[in-house]
Amino acid sequence: MSTSETVAACPSCGQPTESGDAFCEACGTELAPALVSTGAPDFTPACPVCSVDPSVPQPVAVTPDGYCENCGRKVPTGRDHVELDLGLLAGVTDRGSRHSRNEDAMALATAETPSGSAAIAVVSDGVSSSPRPDEASLAGTQAGIRVLLDGVRSGDDLAETSLDAVRVAAADLVALAGPGGAPSATYVSAIVTAEAVTVCWLGDSRAYWLAAGDSQRLTTDDSLAQEMVSSGLLDEAAAMTVPQAHVITRWLGADIPEPEAHVLTFTPPGPGAVLLCTDGLWNYLPEAGGLAERAMPAALTDPLGVAGELVKFALEAGGMDNITVVLVPFPLRSQIHE
Amino acid sequence: MSESGFTVDIDQNQYLPEGGRTVDAVVTVTSADSDTALPVSDTPAAEIIIVDCSGSMDVPQTKMASARSAVAAAIDVLHDGTAFAVVAGTSQSWPVYPSNGTMAIASDATRAEAKRAASSLRATGGTAIGQWLRQACAIFETYPAQLRHAILLTDGKNQHETAEQLAAAIHRCEGLFSCDCRGVGTDWEVAELRKVSTALLGTVDIIPDPAGLAADFTAMMENAMGKQVADVSLRVWTPQSAVIQFVKQVAPEVVDLTGRRTQTGPQAGDYPTGAWAPGESRDYHVCVMVNPAGVGQEMLAARVSLVASSASGSEVLGQGLVRAVWTDNAELSTKLNARVAHYTGQAEMAGLIQDGLEARKQGDEETATAKLGRAVALASKSGNEDTAKLLAKVVDVMDAATGTVRLKKAVADADEMALDTRSTKTVRVRKEQA
Repeated sequence: MSTSETVAACPSCGQPTESGDAFCEACGTELAPALVSTGAPDFTPACPVCSVDPSVPQPVAVTPDGYCENCGRKVPTGRDHVELDLGLLAGVTDRGSRHSRNEDAMALATAETPSGSAAIAVVSDGVSSSPRPDEASLAGTQAGIRVLLDGVRSGDDLAETSLDAVRVAAADLVALAGPGGAPSATYVSAIVTAEAVTVCWLGDSRAYWLAAGDSQRLTTDDSLAQEMVSSGLLDEAAAMTVPQAHVITRWLGADIPEPEAHVLTFTPPGPGAVLLCTDGLWNYLPEAGGLAERAMPAALTDPLGVAGELVKFALEAGGMDNITVVLVPFPLRSQIHE
Repeated sequence: MSESGFTVDIDQNQYLPEGGRTVDAVVTVTSADSDTALPVSDTPAAEIIIVDCSGSMDVPQTKMASARSAVAAAIDVLHDGTAFAVVAGTSQSWPVYPSNGTMAIASDATRAEAKRAASSLRATGGTAIGQWLRQACAIFETYPAQLRHAILLTDGKNQHETAEQLAAAIHRCEGLFSCDCRGVGTDWEVAELRKVSTALLGTVDIIPDPAGLAADFTAMMENAMGKQVADVSLRVWTPQSAVIQFVKQVAPEVVDLTGRRTQTGPQAGDYPTGAWAPGESRDYHVCVMVNPAGVGQEMLAARVSLVASSASGSEVLGQGLVRAVWTDNAELSTKLNARVAHYTGQAEMAGLIQDGLEARKQGDEETATAKLGRAVALASKSGNEDTAKLLAKVVDVMDAATGTVRLKKAVADADEMALDTRSTKTVRVRKEQA
């Protein structure tokens, strides 16, 4: 399909728009809004059992808190399985097989700037031991993607913008805290431009560089396991078998009002893909090389398909946790050649 | 604190092993400190003081005199505008003030008249507590109050009617008024009076020495005058095919509400909690059996709402969710919630004391020693010092931790009855910080 000769129309008012515009000149609609894994807007929750049981009077109500009014079962939300595709990047998030809800969240965005296209992603994993972790991860990604998108559009320093986004996301999670405790979440973001990848993170959600030859993990976990590895106590495989391995040492949440995030700028040596994921994936395949074997080279041309494949792999391996996978092929696929 | 002035907090371990069915939760209900935050009953409170005037109240003579002073002390505490009456009871019952069987409205003048009438109370005749309760019922029904409360004083066993007659009278009063019961001396029956106080959502206690009556009546009436919200219920919704094992108040004392359910919908029932004062906090233990779902599934095992009922309908004051999540992570599913475990122990302790004392009365020393010993161990482990002290007056404690005890040879009746009446008192534990 070629759309290179036609000028894109505003989805709201139909007026033609210019490449690089963030908003429609005619009606002000945001032309390339961020996508967040809140679930499909037309999703209607229904009990998977009682809504198809002929012996139960229909319709069966779902309580405001998301339970079946008849059998009490937690009704699937629109967040259980979400696929987002913006062309330049794509992501899939899934509840997994063992958790009752999806506490992971992701947000994707693209921006056209004078210096070229940019792909932006945020992935977050709600901390299960905190209250309302699903709200925490969603609030973190929503706040993060907004700041990142503004920063990229304004041509700000990308490392600074990434740290800003964490500060704003952290403040939003502080506001979520109440007498019941502090909802908390991990955070990893990536801004991929024509030249470089800017990664920023807190906790144990990861970013990888996947390529034919020299794949590598870009992030270092804020976790007890990583601390044991860093201090030379244990090697990575041994550290992950320690019961407290997954306990994270930094996160977004009111109990750390101003978390110190890590930021890193990586210049890809050649073609490859940036992978952001939660531990629901990397628990089953921690090594960059192993991930690259499964993802490459298909991720260069089909990020959505490969993200789906990686989620499927984690589900088949046990699906013990929520799984989120985002892939950004590099160099950015120019929309003109789509 | 929510807008209604009440909060409902749930404390539980929501994780169940594969196939697990039993869901336990501690529900903490707290009313706002400031009385302005609470909804106010639109009619004033009504109080009836019921006094035993049986012949034994004259043995010793100070008993009747102390009862008269105690009634006067309680009348002095009545707030202006409160509807009230004084009832006398023997094998029959009659209104002492107002003498026409209605209620008076408290003022300086009526308080003085009532005290004068009470000063003429004389001891003569038998004991039929059911008659007294029916008399109170008839008087309460002459006045449209929402907060209805009675104080009942007796010194003897219910000898002049059958247990069935008393039970029927109690049933007649259920839901109409609450009743705090006091036994003076040691010739009355704890189990008998506890039937009245439990059904009528009140307390029962012993006043061994008549000299203590006035202070106790003053305290009871002050407590009653503090109540502000009447007829509050716990409404428990459960999923289709779930079964409620029990609903108990567990703090400040154990009251089993399971049998008090009123069905309010196909999957919901109300359990009465009585009246609430500002700044009160009580804990309830709810246990539900559910149909297990698969590992990774979540279910709402119960929705516990606090509901205030009045003539104009019912209002939900607060609500909490009891959840069930099935997991194959044994570390999660085997963890006992500290407060559920604590209150399970406190309820068991109350039962052991009552059963142990009964066995002791029957001369079954072996059972009595075993039960009271186990109660000593539970009291010690949970830090319930008041109950531990009361137990130590009935048994010699060799080792509290293991519950090794010996029955005391001589036990004062008053000590045994104090242990019995206060066996249901619990100590609270705070919610663990998440």
